[in-house]
Amino acid sequence: MIRQAYLSILARNASWSGDWACEPCECGWASEAIFFVKVLHAAPTARAAQARVQISPDGLNWLDEGQALLIGTEPGLYSARVSHFGGWLRLAGRTEGEGEIRVVCYLHLKE
Amino acid sequence: MTPAELTHALRMADPAISRFDPLERIIYHADFNRGHSGFTATIGNYEGTLDTILPDMNFLSPQLSNYPMWDTGTAGTMHGGYALKLATEARAGAVSAATKRLTMRSIGLIRLETWFGIKSEATQMVLTEHDVRAFGILFDIQDRSRRLLPRLRYHNASDGRLIGKWQIKTDHPKRHQIGPSGKTASIGHYAPVGYSDVPNGDQPLCHNELPTKMNWHYLSVTFDLRTMRFVEFRCNERVFDRDLPPPFELPEWPNLTGLLNTIFFVETDVDKRAFLYLDSVLFSCTP
Repeated sequence: MIRQAYLSILARNASWSGDWACEPCECGWASEAIFFVKVLHAAPTARAAQARVQISPDGLNWLDEGQALLIGTEPGLYSARVSHFGGWLRLAGRTEGEGEIRVVCYLHLKE
Repeated sequence: MTPAELTHALRMADPAISRFDPLERIIYHADFNRGHSGFTATIGNYEGTLDTILPDMNFLSPQLSNYPMWDTGTAGTMHGGYALKLATEARAGAVSAATKRLTMRSIGLIRLETWFGIKSEATQMVLTEHDVRAFGILFDIQDRSRRLLPRLRYHNASDGRLIGKWQIKTDHPKRHQIGPSGKTASIGHYAPVGYSDVPNGDQPLCHNELPTKMNWHYLSVTFDLRTMRFVEFRCNERVFDRDLPPPFELPEWPNLTGLLNTIFFVETDVDKRAFLYLDSVLFSCTP
């Protein structure tokens, strides 16, 4: 049997400014995951975003898993790998400076 | 025993199928224990940049859920581990929709059946049965001369008040040109407007007693591709087959001849995520 894999879009053309979190993903069937954040463009006054992978027991309450990534303001890709995460994942962070970064947030899941 | 009787007996002997009432030919049966089964995020058309997507047509991916709740743990589904979960954003009026894209195999009756559940995110320790504004199904269809998006919606609640009635969208939404090429267009057809009530279409549904307790319901919708009209729909023990309003029609669109998409959607009425869980879906037709 081929292992299941799934690409989930957790944010599409989303504006991330100040403190933010992407939509949560229920993914207890998966054992490994990679977050990709594609920066489409950024406000000239925006600076890099500090992002943290978060886990949850219930999809309601969240805590940092330990993985972090720095999302720049130049268009491009940024990623974080994570495993042994239980049933839920999301990415939370803060965009420094004024204004937004515009992003697509992908979560690649694999059984 | 006739072939029809043998087919019926075999289906009734299979617990996965006997809880449905399919037409003669089963096109697909998705139980979501083997993945998403072709249901993907619905998205409005774009050209050149994602900025051209209509704001109310930007939906995120459906998820596989085994219904884990903070107070009781995992429930699983009716007949296995996983359901397909459509989740809105936590913003009043937000919608989530998931599509499975097909084309017509024959021009006759089609029937979409599902065992489903609705719930809002359990952020409060009290039943909030009026959080989910609505849910429903639609087909996206085009024959040789016209496009239709026949849609059945259960209007659950608005403004903190339970409503509980079935509706069909009868007024067509506006067509928007997308981008400069002239060949891309989009319509924002998930707005909560343009619906007509189904006559005698009031039906309360079981919401149970806590935000974490969800019951599975049965829904069956039959549509005629020859007349482009709903023939009947069933929800749990109720059958609705009288005076169903005709769905709106649009002129044909380029590149869509033969289109037959099966789509589910859910809407939230409050700043809280609304979920539509699909335990399983069966789609069938007459040959």
